[in-house]
Amino acid sequence: MDQTNGQTAQNKIKRAPVHEGPRNHLITFALSLLLTFLAFMAAANQSLSTGFVIFLLVAMAFSQAIMQLAYWMHLKDKGHFYPRLFLTIGGIVAFLCFIAAIYWMWW
Amino acid sequence: MSQANVHSNGQLPPQPERATLEGRNKITGFWLFLGGETVLFGTLFGAYFTLRNQTLNGPTPQELFELPLIALATLILLTSSLFSVFAVQAMHRNDLGKTRMWLGLTVLLGLSFLALEIYEFVHYVSLGHKFHSSAFGSSFYALVGFHGAHVAFGIGWLTLIFLQLKRKGLTTVTAPKVYLASLYWHYVDVIWVFIFSLVYLLGKVAG
Amino acid sequence: MANAHAVKRYRGIMDWLTTVDHKKIGKLYFGAGAFFFLLGGIEALLMRIQLMYPMFDFVSGQTFNELLTMHGTTMIFLAAMPLVFGFMNAVVPLQIGARDVAFPFANALGFWTFFFGGLLLNLSWFTGGAPDVGWTAYVPLATEPYSTRGVDYYSIGLQIAGIGTLLNGINFLATIINMRAPGMSFMRMPLFTWTTFVTSALILFAFPAFGIGIMLLTFDRLFNANFFDIAMGGNAVLWQHIFWIFGHPEVYILILPAFGIISEVVSTFSRKRLFGYSSMVFATALIGFLGFMVWAHHMFTVGLGPVANALFGVATMLIAIPTGIKVFNWIFTMWGGKIRFTTAMTFAAAFIPSFVMGGVTGVMLAVPPADFQYHDTYFVVGHFHYTIVGGVVFGLLAGTFYWWPKMFGKKLNEKLGQITFWTFFVGFHLTFFIQHFLGLWGMPRRVYTYLEGQGWDLPNYVSTIGAFLMAISTVVLLINVVITTIKGEKAEADPWDGRTLEWSIASPPPEYNFKQIPLVRGLDAFWKEKMEGKKEMTPAEPLQPIHMPGPSILPFMMSLGLFILGYGIIYHRYEFDNAFLGMLFNSKFVAILGAVIFFGCMALRSLFDDPGYHIEVEELQEKEVRA
Repeated sequence: MDQTNGQTAQNKIKRAPVHEGPRNHLITFALSLLLTFLAFMAAANQSLSTGFVIFLLVAMAFSQAIMQLAYWMHLKDKGHFYPRLFLTIGGIVAFLCFIAAIYWMWW
Repeated sequence: MSQANVHSNGQLPPQPERATLEGRNKITGFWLFLGGETVLFGTLFGAYFTLRNQTLNGPTPQELFELPLIALATLILLTSSLFSVFAVQAMHRNDLGKTRMWLGLTVLLGLSFLALEIYEFVHYVSLGHKFHSSAFGSSFYALVGFHGAHVAFGIGWLTLIFLQLKRKGLTTVTAPKVYLASLYWHYVDVIWVFIFSLVYLLGKVAG
Repeated sequence: MANAHAVKRYRGIMDWLTTVDHKKIGKLYFGAGAFFFLLGGIEALLMRIQLMYPMFDFVSGQTFNELLTMHGTTMIFLAAMPLVFGFMNAVVPLQIGARDVAFPFANALGFWTFFFGGLLLNLSWFTGGAPDVGWTAYVPLATEPYSTRGVDYYSIGLQIAGIGTLLNGINFLATIINMRAPGMSFMRMPLFTWTTFVTSALILFAFPAFGIGIMLLTFDRLFNANFFDIAMGGNAVLWQHIFWIFGHPEVYILILPAFGIISEVVSTFSRKRLFGYSSMVFATALIGFLGFMVWAHHMFTVGLGPVANALFGVATMLIAIPTGIKVFNWIFTMWGGKIRFTTAMTFAAAFIPSFVMGGVTGVMLAVPPADFQYHDTYFVVGHFHYTIVGGVVFGLLAGTFYWWPKMFGKKLNEKLGQITFWTFFVGFHLTFFIQHFLGLWGMPRRVYTYLEGQGWDLPNYVSTIGAFLMAISTVVLLINVVITTIKGEKAEADPWDGRTLEWSIASPPPEYNFKQIPLVRGLDAFWKEKMEGKKEMTPAEPLQPIHMPGPSILPFMMSLGLFILGYGIIYHRYEFDNAFLGMLFNSKFVAILGAVIFFGCMALRSLFDDPGYHIEVEELQEKEVRA
């Protein structure tokens, strides 16, 4: 009964390669390390302008987060429409909190 | 009953975490929960960004944060996240021993991260940066401490799974648990990416 | 049979404490919600009596403040939402052709955390005063020196109840995503299921913000934090932002399910397919989305500046568009339909003009310069009661009369229902219409009395009379429920000539809902089959044993643990007269005990898997014959 109850086209899982190797995950790890290293370097570097470093930090944080979400948490795989959708909406609402904090809190 | 929960011949279906409706429900539900967690941390980040300059007479972020310590903590958590990937991969190969080994290593790294964080907090308190010493203190400990609480909960969760796997083995009931705990652990690491970038590094740059 | 276990089946009260059946949990939600609804109604009545005459001395100012806080908090968190959840639980799995929700255990946990959270909050009446700071709990009023310990009950009680709400949101989303019957595509879902889906998404993204907000408030009040303490660098506007980022979606969490109920009722009793189904779905999603983009319209007078105010004003007005789409669709559904004015339909028909009036005043309030005039007056009170009573409560009452046969197996008395309707309808407009004018005439909200001779005496008197009419209406409804329960006739499976799947099975449904999962072939699935001369749905699976989740006491125990933990935190540094109590609480023993119970039960749940039990084919056939 487990199988027949309410399956629809959207959530049938496409069969992934049975034994996916560690290659992608190791690449993700290496790139994460690299981005982390660059972020620490950028923060320690006194010669860059503050605005540019902030931009770099934000950009690299998002890149690393998206990469880990896509590969380690399998968001890139098929059958992840709803996880992607709801994580995106959550991100938008979290972003609203940032906007409020930056623009509409002190004056 | 086409799907029995326990596979007596030791064969797991491919992607055992999704083999039952219960398993698929858990994965969908857990992702939804992570969407909610994003708002949870978003609100805490919002509070921190509102209050991070309100240091009163206490030390500023620039004076407090020590990058080598943060770099070490980041490295530990990142590696532990990789280990929990390996745990899920071992589970997909139906290798109970390796699954438990990687879960155990993940727990150990999690514990060392937590120890570092506790050391860090104790150190800050000795420098006069306390939860109740300023609005900056409150918002800092609320955000980073909340993440720390997530790590602590994750350690407890992974340990429980590590223990029950020995008794129950890899089945279509235990597989979703391993998968979810691993998702949770990755998510905690993703949040840490934002914490080290936007709290520590940004605090160092634009305190 | 892979795992047929003899499972312990409970009876009587233990059955209710351990149930994980969505229909029973729906009834629990409905009952508890109705209880809190009565409580909130009594609080409202006491306030209206106090305001009946100028300088009246019925309750003190402090009591009035407590009443008004508890009325708002109770009605929103402990009455309207649980009643909505009651319907969702009772109806949504049936409407999508599922045997249960995705997480039956979490469903029970959601109910019990709500129940214990609400209980904790209301116990504040007996322990030195309820919260007295309004349901919005604005700081600095809500911080330590300015308010009673009731605010701790508010923040901790709602924190516990909020966990349950969040769980339920996730539960219904996962249920609707994963457990629809074969053929039930998203665009074939009944509108109540659709609004449940969008509402659950709003809960998922709004409640975490509130959870953090009240956690910070608790930290400030009980652990010396400084989030909102201006002297220590805190920021009072932070609370308002967090509260309203949650608070505005929250009011849509209330109204969207009501929209769904009205859509079902209007379509059924007009004997017509819902007009503009896909535009209804689109409008629901759009309202949900815009609900997150307008929070600062509650903060126009805070001083965010003209750009922010204009932005949020325009965004707010935009919401009138999808809402207008809905209103016109309901009217066009009725247009040319064979309308039967049952009590449910009467409430639905009255809902439309009543809610539109609330919507129109909403657009008025969305204009920032005008809002500066209306702000904090009875105009606002009139506005939101038109949306919440004229909208949500009308919808809930329509749903009560519509789904009562399906939930309880008996039809409510229609004659008494009509009395309920007319007294409520007249009472509601009598109470709240005049309040718009009271506001325009300058009466501020949240005051416990007023001086005579300002032109407010008669309007307040009229308003109170209206409130009594609504009270009479509620009493008639209660009598109706009692009479129906005692000697009402058993309802048939499909008493209203319904259109959706819940009417294709017995009233009340058996514990497994569908003997065989139905095959859905179109929108209004059951109606489609009936139009082709069939009496029941075509099954999508052979008759086979049904696996059911086992009952469990753990949800109750976990919630009890949270309740104890909450008490431990509220009193962790309170100076007791009794030395023993002081030792228990001040040593954090109580708090730790609660946490141990909570996490211990959680670990038990993880370590010991629930095997559930099976209902065999023979048993299914036996039940068939008896029915």
